[in-house]
This record gives sequence, C-alpha cells and structure tokens, in this order.
Amino acid sequence: MGPHGLQRRRLQGRGIVMDLGDGVFDDLPRYRDQPADPAPALRLTGLSKRFGQTVAVDNMGLSVPPGSFFGLVGPNGAGKTTSLSMAVGLLRPDAGTVRVFGLDLWQDPVRAKALVGVLPDGLSLPERLTGRELLTYTALLRGLDRDTVAARADELLGVLELAEAERTLVIDYSAGMRKKIGLATALMHAPKLLVLDEPFEAVDPVSASTIRTILRRFVAAGGAVVLSSHVMELVEKLCDHVAVITRGRVVASGPVDAVRAGRSLEEVFVHLVGGRTGGAEGLSWLAS
Amino acid sequence: MVGVLISMKLRVLRHSLGGIRGAFFGIGAVIGLSVAAGCAVFLALHPGGLTVGTDLASALIAVWTLGWLFGPILAGGGDETLRPENFALLPIRPVPLAVGLFGASLAGVAPLVTLIVFAGLVCVAVPVGTGAVVVAVLAVALQLAMAVLLSKVVIAGLGALLGSRRGKDLGVLLTALAALAYWPASYAFQTLGPIVLGQSSPVFSAALRYLPTGWGPTAVAASAAQDWLAALGWLLALAVVDGLLVLAWSRLLVRRLTTSQSASQPGRSARTGPARRRLRLLPESPLGAVIGKELRTWWRDARRRAMLLSSILIGAIVPVMSTVGNANASTLAFGALWIVFFAAMQVGNLYGFDGSALWQTLVTPGAVNADVRGRQWAWLLIVGPIALLAAAILPAVAGAPGAYPWVLALMPALLGGGAGTVLLMSVFAPFPMPTQRGRNPFSSGGRAGFSGFLPRMGIIFLQLATAVPAFVLLLLGALDVLPWANWAAVPVGVLSGLVAAWWWGGIACRRLARRGPELLAAVRVAV
Repeated sequence: MGPHGLQRRRLQGRGIVMDLGDGVFDDLPRYRDQPADPAPALRLTGLSKRFGQTVAVDNMGLSVPPGSFFGLVGPNGAGKTTSLSMAVGLLRPDAGTVRVFGLDLWQDPVRAKALVGVLPDGLSLPERLTGRELLTYTALLRGLDRDTVAARADELLGVLELAEAERTLVIDYSAGMRKKIGLATALMHAPKLLVLDEPFEAVDPVSASTIRTILRRFVAAGGAVVLSSHVMELVEKLCDHVAVITRGRVVASGPVDAVRAGRSLEEVFVHLVGGRTGGAEGLSWLAS
Repeated sequence: MVGVLISMKLRVLRHSLGGIRGAFFGIGAVIGLSVAAGCAVFLALHPGGLTVGTDLASALIAVWTLGWLFGPILAGGGDETLRPENFALLPIRPVPLAVGLFGASLAGVAPLVTLIVFAGLVCVAVPVGTGAVVVAVLAVALQLAMAVLLSKVVIAGLGALLGSRRGKDLGVLLTALAALAYWPASYAFQTLGPIVLGQSSPVFSAALRYLPTGWGPTAVAASAAQDWLAALGWLLALAVVDGLLVLAWSRLLVRRLTTSQSASQPGRSARTGPARRRLRLLPESPLGAVIGKELRTWWRDARRRAMLLSSILIGAIVPVMSTVGNANASTLAFGALWIVFFAAMQVGNLYGFDGSALWQTLVTPGAVNADVRGRQWAWLLIVGPIALLAAAILPAVAGAPGAYPWVLALMPALLGGGAGTVLLMSVFAPFPMPTQRGRNPFSSGGRAGFSGFLPRMGIIFLQLATAVPAFVLLLLGALDVLPWANWAAVPVGVLSGLVAAWWWGGIACRRLARRGPELLAAVRVAV
C-alpha cells in the first residue's frame, strides 16, 4: 500500500470524502455517508450547470450535516456562487437535485424554502426601502405577524448595529451595511439552514465578530450554516466542516481537522486545487 | 493618449457588437449614413447659388447640432462607452482628459454621419475655388467638434445639476418634453424650410448665419467674396468656442469625478412619519406587504416616478397637441384613456426596475402570488385615481359631455387590462436596467431591444382588446341599434377590466412561479 492508500484509510476512518481527481483513488470504492443519518441539512447530488461552453458546476455532490458549520472554499471562478445559487433556488440546475432536510428544493420549493435563510452575493436588495422597512416587508411576506416582525426587527437592527441607519435607504448603505441588513433579512424568519455567500466580505472587524457570534449561537442551537469564502483562516477558525471545490467539482469535504490532516487549511487548499503559489519570480522592475 | 482612448473605444464597440445586436447596429449605421449622404448630396446639388448653399448649410448644421443636444437626453445619456470614472485614478490633468475623451467620442457612427452631412459645406465651396475649399474643410472640422463638445457639456452640466433627487425629476420632465418636441419641430420644418430655400426672410437667414452653428458657412461665404480676413475671423471664433467648451467639459469632469452622489437628499432620511401611518391601513399579510413596498418604491425611486409622471404628461399632452389648430377639441375628452394606456405601456418592466432584488421573492416560499397581485394593486392604486379624475373632468372641460359614457366605459376596461398587461410584460418581456449608482441621470442603458419588441407589442394589443366588449356596445348605442347600450357599456367595461386583471395576473403568477430563476437572470445587471 503506497502513501496515498495510507492517507486514504486514515481519512475514511474519520468519515470524510476526498477525491484528489485524476483517478488517484479510482481503484477504491467511494465512501458515502452513513445511510442511517438523519436527513442532511443540505444535500446536493449530481448538480451541474453550464453557461455556453463553460462548465461552471460539474456533477457536484455535497452533504451538509445538521448542526454543522460548513465552509465552502475554492479559488475564484470555482463555482461557489453558482452552486449556492442553485442550492437556494435562484438558478435552475441543468441536472442534479438539491435537498433541504430531505425536501427536494426544486420539486417542493414552498416547504423547502421555508427552512432556508439566504444571503446572496452581488445581488441587489429593494433599494428604496429603509433597513427597517426591508426587514418588515420581508418578514410579512413570509407570513409573520406584525408584532413578531417589529420585535425581531428591533432586536436584529440593534444587535447588528444598524439602528442608527434604519432611516437610511438601502441604496445609500455601505457595502458592509448591505451585508449586515442582508443577513438580518435571512435571519428574520428563524430558518433552520443559513446559506451565506461571502458573508464577511467588506464587513468591518467589529461587525464580523458580532456576526461570527450570532452564527455560532445559531449552530449551537441546532441550525446549520453553509458559507462560502476564500479566506482560509476564517473558515479554519469558524467552521467545523469544509468542502474544497475547484473547477465546479468537490475535491475534498468533511470535518475541518480531517481535511487538514495536520497541515494548515491553506496548504491543503493549494495542494488540492493544483495551484502553485507564485509571485517570487520576475517583476524585478517593481523593486527598483 | 487620444490614440489609446480611441483604440480602446473601438475595441469595446467591437466586443459589444455580437450577433443580433451587431446586425441591428449595422442596419442603423447604414440608414444613418444614407440619410447623411442624402443631406450632403442635397447641399451639393441644390438649385440656388452660393448664398442659398451656405444658408442651407447653416440650417442643416443647426438642426444636426440640436440633434446632438437632444438625442442623448432622449436616448439615455449619450455615448458612455468610455466612462470618465475609469480614468479617474490616472495621473492625467482634466483638460487633456477632456481632449482624450473628446477624441474617443469622435470614433463612432454618429460623428461619422454628422461629418458626412457637414461635408456638404465643402461641396458648396468646390465651385468657388481652392481657398474656399480649404476654409470649408476647416469649418466642417470645427463645426463637428462644436456639435460633439456641446452635447458632452450640456449632458455633463445637466448631470451635475440633476444630482439631487428633485433635479432628477426635473431631468425626467425635460426628457419627456424633449420627446414631445416632435410636434413643434415638425411645425417648424414645414414653415421654415421654404423660408430658407426661398430666401424670403432676411432676418431668419441672418439669425441662422450668426448663430455659432452658422459661423462655418459664413466663413465659406466670406472666402467666396475674397474677404480672407473675415473668413479667418469666423474660423478663429469657432476655434475659441470649441476651446471654451473643452475647458467647460474638463471642469464638469472634475466635478463628476470628485463629488459623491447620494440617492436621497443629503442630510435627509427617508420620510417614515405620516406615510407610515397611512400604509398601516394595508392588510397585514404578504399581499399587503408587497403593496406597501411597491407604493413606497413608486414614490421614492426617481426612475419609476419619472416613468409614471412622463406617461401621465404624454397622456395629457398628446390629445392637446393633436387638437391644436383643430377646431374639434374632442380628443381631449379622452385624455383619461391615453393616460391609462401610456402608464401601462411605459412601466411594463417592473422586475427590470428592481433588478436582482427579485431573489428575495424567489427564496420566500409562496411569495410569488402575493408579489404579482401586490404589484397589480399598487399600479391600480396609483394610476386608477388619476385616470378617474381625468375621466370625470376632461370631457366637461373639452365641452364634450357626450363623451362621458365612452370614457367611463372604456377607462375601467383599459385600467383593468393595464393592471394585467403591466405584469404580463414584466414577466414575459423583461429587460435589465442599469443600477442607479452611476453618475449620469439620463442613463437608461438597457433598452427593450428588438427581441422583446414583438412580445411587448402583442401585449399592448391585449390591453386594447379588453376594451372591445364595451366598445361594441358603445358602437351599437351610437348607431341607435340598442339605445340603452351606451350606459350598459359602463358595467361591461368594469367587468371586462376586472376579468382581464384577474386572468392575466394569474398567468403572470404561474409564469413567475415556473420561470423565476430565468427571470432573475434576465433582469440581472452585471456590476
């Protein structure tokens, strides 16, 4: 048994799926989740999406256990946003299924979407509403009653330090404030699964710390969080599960410690995506 | 630097002209070039002498320069292929930047078309002699520069002026009025054309000549009279105007690049007081939430307000214009119908207005029906009262009380049909609109495009179809076939409006539920 085989066996013991691509482990049977598990909070099976000639997501499979804090990492253009958009119902997959706690999101959208809170990246909000109005309307649309809505909006605006900005239209918000109000709309209806695309981008350190605390409490209470990021330290610190995707495929997924296998997540990441950290050669004119 | 900017612009143009768009661009270019060639040939071959030639050239240059002024206002901000913001961080001083952008804006079809028209002046100068031709060539170049620069300066100036919220409304009104300038303009053409050709009004001809748009032709005329000093003087004056325009544009560029623009008025927050209480009357339900959100957005979003305001204006002005000089003022009585018709046609891209914010509806379970119905209600709540008011007042004002049954029967039918077709258009023929964080208030960017044109036209006819039952009854009443039919048409109109709104809204609901992600992709704008 070669070194790969040893590593593979160790990984299997920790219950992770690892696919280094290019048929390294093709001779071995693939590991699957234990069938006796309760339904995963989010399960993507055979998810594919192609834009013209470009394959953005290629037969992707992913399983997010309930109560987990799941980080999705990958280089730019790996398909993180595309796969998350398909996972929450914003982009129709070419093939594959999305299950939220066992409910098929594309077949039974109403019941599945009730369980999910979403913070997309790069999409606008109803720009001509104030933060409070946005929260109120979003929650009323989900069928909450006005008193609950008012109480929750108060709390969220306070905790996320948006109280002062509640009379400002969303169009005048800064990038960080937009992230925060987006997160607040995702939380209003007390979802069981949070899908957050780059939730910490442009958020200041204090707010980021607040958001981390909120998300940890959410997970501690039994909710599941899926977030995408390309900041390895953040995922390493915050998440208990991680999936590495590149070129539209999951190349490793499982508990963070298992995927890391004693190295830093960044090292593993660079190794997995087949990258080579450049920047040391050439550019001599830059130092002159 | 000018060379780099020009090649940059040509490269961007080439990249943005794929497939169908390229084909339509080509067709437009061919039409523009043919019109221009026609103008130039007309100038070269007209029967009059040199004076008529230069006067005609003055008139043509004046008209085309005006076109450069109004065209961008109408067509959405003019040429923004190269945005000044992209060069804000370069160490370039404002005047060279303005010169560079000016050079780049000369690379395109519109300046070429204009150049061909203006080149007619050279044709006029050819019979006179070499000296006059040289003067004419210089004059054409300077006049073209003036037209392009004037357009840039006016748009930039208006943009600076219209930075505020009130200013944006003003700009939109201006746009609407510019669109309506068609009537006065056609009147002017009909009456003034013969004056120029027949030299029948010396005052008018002189005015044409002494306007800056006439300085080039005047220089040619001077050179024909061997008055070289005067010719040189006129050319120099033109050059000075061009230089001043470059200077003004560079100032405006600095302003555009260094001031921030807030959507709401600086230092003022959204009003939430009385409006908030009034909106509390809305039911506490998903439907009520959408209606409230829509009403607020109609009120706060300058672009949406503008669309409604201009459609109401057009609805009011079209009948007035068409009755000017017409003893029979009866079309004014039907103003309410025009208002409803335009208000439905103009705003039929509700999801395009909101852009990618549609994701919120898509991730909310069961929100689709509330969203469509709420948008219908909000449109009705805004357009309905205005239309009702117009229907109640205008027939009396126009002195045509006989129009009441017609207006009162057709208006509700069109109103209900409009509430349906606005949503049908929004879900079946959506198009993306630019985000409103840019600096150019006229920028309307996304156009419906020709692919969306046919479905939109079809849906507009659907709205008219709602009026058919009431119309038939009215006709029967008018022809004395059924004397009571006149007034029976009113409930029939109301009923057909209700049916259309309910039926087509339902179609829109099902479409949005089934094709929501595709709609999101269609209205999404790349940032």
